[in-house]
Amino acid sequence: MDKIKNFFKRTLSVLKDFGYSLLKGIKKIFSNKKTVTGAVIIVIYVLIAIFGPLIFPYSTETNLKDKYLSPSLAHPFGTDWLGRDVFRQVIDGTGNVLEIAFYSALITVVVGTVFGIVSGYIGGWVDRVIMSVTNIFLSIPSFPVYLLLAALVVIETPISLALMISIFSWAGLCRAIRVQVMSLKERDFIQICKVMHMSKAHIIFKELLPNVFSYIAINFVMAMRNAIVASVGIMLVGLAAYDPTNWGAIMNAARTKGLVNPNNVRILLYPLVAIVIFQVATLMLANGLDETLNPRLKVM
Amino acid sequence: MKKDKDSTKAKSLGKSKFNMTAVGKFFVKYKYFFSKVGVSLITLALSIILLFFLLRQIPGDIVHLYALGLQQRQGINYDRAYELASQLLNYDPNENIFQAFFRYVGGLFRGELGESYLETGVSANSLIKTRLPWTLFISSVALFISFFLGTFIGGYVAQKRQGVANKIASSYIAISGSIPDYLMALLLVIIFAYQLKWFPAQNNYDAFKVTPGFNLPFILNVLYYAFLPILSYTIVQTGNWILQMRGSTIGVLGEDYILAARARGLKDRTIRSKYMRKNALLPLITSLGVSFGALFGGATLMESIFNYPGIGLEISNRVVNKDYMVVQGLIFFSAAMVIFVNLIVDLIYPLVDPRVRRG
Amino acid sequence: MDRSPLMRLENINMVFKKPGSLLKDRNIHVLKDINLDIYEGEIVAIVGESGCGKTTLGKIITGLIRPTSGNVYFNGNKVSGVFSKDISSYNQVQFIQQDSYAALNPVRTIYQSLYAPIKTSNRKLKTKEIDDKINELMALVGLLPAEQYLSKYPHQLSGGQRQRILMARAISLNPRLIVADEPVSMIDVSLRLSLLNLMKELNKKLNMSFVYISHDLSTTRYIARNGRVCVMYLGEIVEMGNIGDVIETPRHPYTRALIQAVPVPDPEYHGNDDLPLKSMQLGTLEDRGDGCSFIERCLYSCDKCKQKIEHVTTDTAQVLCCNLENVPKQSVYSLKGKKK
Repeated sequence: MDKIKNFFKRTLSVLKDFGYSLLKGIKKIFSNKKTVTGAVIIVIYVLIAIFGPLIFPYSTETNLKDKYLSPSLAHPFGTDWLGRDVFRQVIDGTGNVLEIAFYSALITVVVGTVFGIVSGYIGGWVDRVIMSVTNIFLSIPSFPVYLLLAALVVIETPISLALMISIFSWAGLCRAIRVQVMSLKERDFIQICKVMHMSKAHIIFKELLPNVFSYIAINFVMAMRNAIVASVGIMLVGLAAYDPTNWGAIMNAARTKGLVNPNNVRILLYPLVAIVIFQVATLMLANGLDETLNPRLKVM
Repeated sequence: MKKDKDSTKAKSLGKSKFNMTAVGKFFVKYKYFFSKVGVSLITLALSIILLFFLLRQIPGDIVHLYALGLQQRQGINYDRAYELASQLLNYDPNENIFQAFFRYVGGLFRGELGESYLETGVSANSLIKTRLPWTLFISSVALFISFFLGTFIGGYVAQKRQGVANKIASSYIAISGSIPDYLMALLLVIIFAYQLKWFPAQNNYDAFKVTPGFNLPFILNVLYYAFLPILSYTIVQTGNWILQMRGSTIGVLGEDYILAARARGLKDRTIRSKYMRKNALLPLITSLGVSFGALFGGATLMESIFNYPGIGLEISNRVVNKDYMVVQGLIFFSAAMVIFVNLIVDLIYPLVDPRVRRG
Repeated sequence: MDRSPLMRLENINMVFKKPGSLLKDRNIHVLKDINLDIYEGEIVAIVGESGCGKTTLGKIITGLIRPTSGNVYFNGNKVSGVFSKDISSYNQVQFIQQDSYAALNPVRTIYQSLYAPIKTSNRKLKTKEIDDKINELMALVGLLPAEQYLSKYPHQLSGGQRQRILMARAISLNPRLIVADEPVSMIDVSLRLSLLNLMKELNKKLNMSFVYISHDLSTTRYIARNGRVCVMYLGEIVEMGNIGDVIETPRHPYTRALIQAVPVPDPEYHGNDDLPLKSMQLGTLEDRGDGCSFIERCLYSCDKCKQKIEHVTTDTAQVLCCNLENVPKQSVYSLKGKKK
């Protein structure tokens, strides 16, 4: 009985300490204006993605009578050439875009970090093999291969699109992490782990990883940005057209209809602005995180 | 005796700025040279393998398609067309895949990058000759303009960090970095081509008005049509150069040798050009080189928007038309150029940065 | 001494390869024919100028680097460094680094940095037991109240405090030998004494051997008062003996120059300030021959010095010199014109 009590007491104290330092860390991170602004905007987008269709039940039914209506209370963004409400389309697309960005960033970061740490820590022939592979994906131009892959595989889910984008983006992260791990490996506090016979697993997870963690976090945000640019671009040429409400698809449809028509221009601009605002928000978040996590002593 | 040799060596090393003995020694360092070349070759080889096997996975009998095309164009019967097609493509579906691969590589060495089945006489090589210059024209002009503009502004802004200029620059970086280049292109086309009608929205020159050649009307026409593409690239890329140059310059300005130069009484202008600019530009040179290599990747999306006849547009059109052999050749060419340019940058960098030279 | 040494280094040579021109590599011969015995409970000091190889020697003793040739024995058993499987012997040799800031993981608290090695050494220990041990260690190194320091990160502590943490970490595994690589070089002079006293206390109380590496003769003399000193030059031990003897009557020309170089804190001192050296040029570590490496600077060198020399045992020390007869036996202090 005592043992169980002690166990709980200990776990509680460990959790308490962990909780305190986590709170302190979170406070510090969110004391930066840029971080907060960026994060808030991103959260708004996420909320729109989840709750938007419920809050704004505009219809996306084809209604040829209401072609090209101007923005009004009934249709905040107007309607398109088939009478569908544009506002609702943009909202519907939000979730899709965010999904692709998130999955792509996740895959990129996980694959890049794993290979980067393995490559940097183990070295030797493993390192050389992984470096050769990253070289390939850094040299072959990505867009033509996207086109080829789209011909091979029909892209139907956000995850497959995210996967396709991640094929090229993991390489850069892998290299950067490898460089950091290689320099960390020589640092005194890692050397002493060897003298004290700590296991490789301990060194990697408890000593190295916390040191590259801030870099990984910032790169996650950057990977999301790249994913959005790549996915919207892919959709703009008509590939991966599985979801017509995705912003890239909306823009592509408007473009093919002809941008000489100012109505189509208007329809194109709404997703465009949505994209740009999101990108600015992620940039602010990334910069804010960079400022707090990597204080530069010399600059300013 | 040893002491004297060392001191004379020291004297000769200090004398000339671009020291031939140091450079000569470096080029004699075969190890560095060979290792970089070796890595490039391995990357190239692996890329070929990857592309080759990737294309083999595409469903649909390519030979069949080619045969159909040949049958239509040459009016021969299907069996004959099939024979011809498999000869042309070097593709026999029953053939051992490794044999096919080696034949492909053999073809590569002879410079054959792939033939089109849609049109006779069109191969990847011919396409490269006609289309690559246009791609490079737009991309490199934009790259260099944005580089010079960006580094100039970046260097200036780094010195006056509290001023208005810096705030404007930061806002510009944030916004231009958040608009993907193709979206910027769309915006520019909407504003300048459709609304204001100042510039053309598509194509590289007006075939009805001018004839290609080294005549002034043609050149002016080309520039007129190239304006919007170059502008969209430049606007988006300049921000990145400003950012890099600003960061690099701030780092350099914090160094002790700048302080020492000021203390020595050197003129601000000298410090700026000789010490600050040179040292700040150094890390950007690699960046510039890599960006230059990436140009060969083709700006598929931009060319699609402007209908600009470059390599990128060519690839995308031919993928849609299933002309895969040519596509394979074009992609391979782009990758090879990227690898090649990166190799050149790697080899040249030690010449520029004395810290990397050894010995 | 009759008892067997705790650690024995036999004919240690360390050669690093540096890529040279035209496919030929250059050999940097950092350590040459080192023979050293360290006994239980003693303090051995290693002294030398920057670049003489003392840190490399320290790392070989610790097991971080494997020597190019030669053998290392611990407790009579041949060992091959921390990368081998003989954990049992090698947890008994620990290392205190010079730069206390770099030696601690900047994103882990002091508690975490102290907890991990103890837990690794004995997985069966419960957290309470480890906590007790940590508190004990903090008391030992004089950092009380312990909670105040344990929850902090390395950058929040001063250099002296960090150095004590390093010591606590080193002794947490109950080693029999601690190699301290210039532990007080980065500490304020006013704090050095307390750290050195701490090390002497540990040596006495826990009977731990210390290998104290430094370039500073004064701290060396203080800590190794009853111990031995090895004077190193360009990777060789040129003189080894009891510290009192070596400082009073140095036999090797290099040691003589070292002691001569210590400034006399007396404004009225007008003695001979010239160093008994031929030149200030340091020899090269590349492509060394067999002969004496001190040839460039030695005042007493001759043709014999170009051949391989052996250690000569005098009444005070072992000296690596072939011309001992010519080196003056006069105590250096008398050379300075003042006797203290």
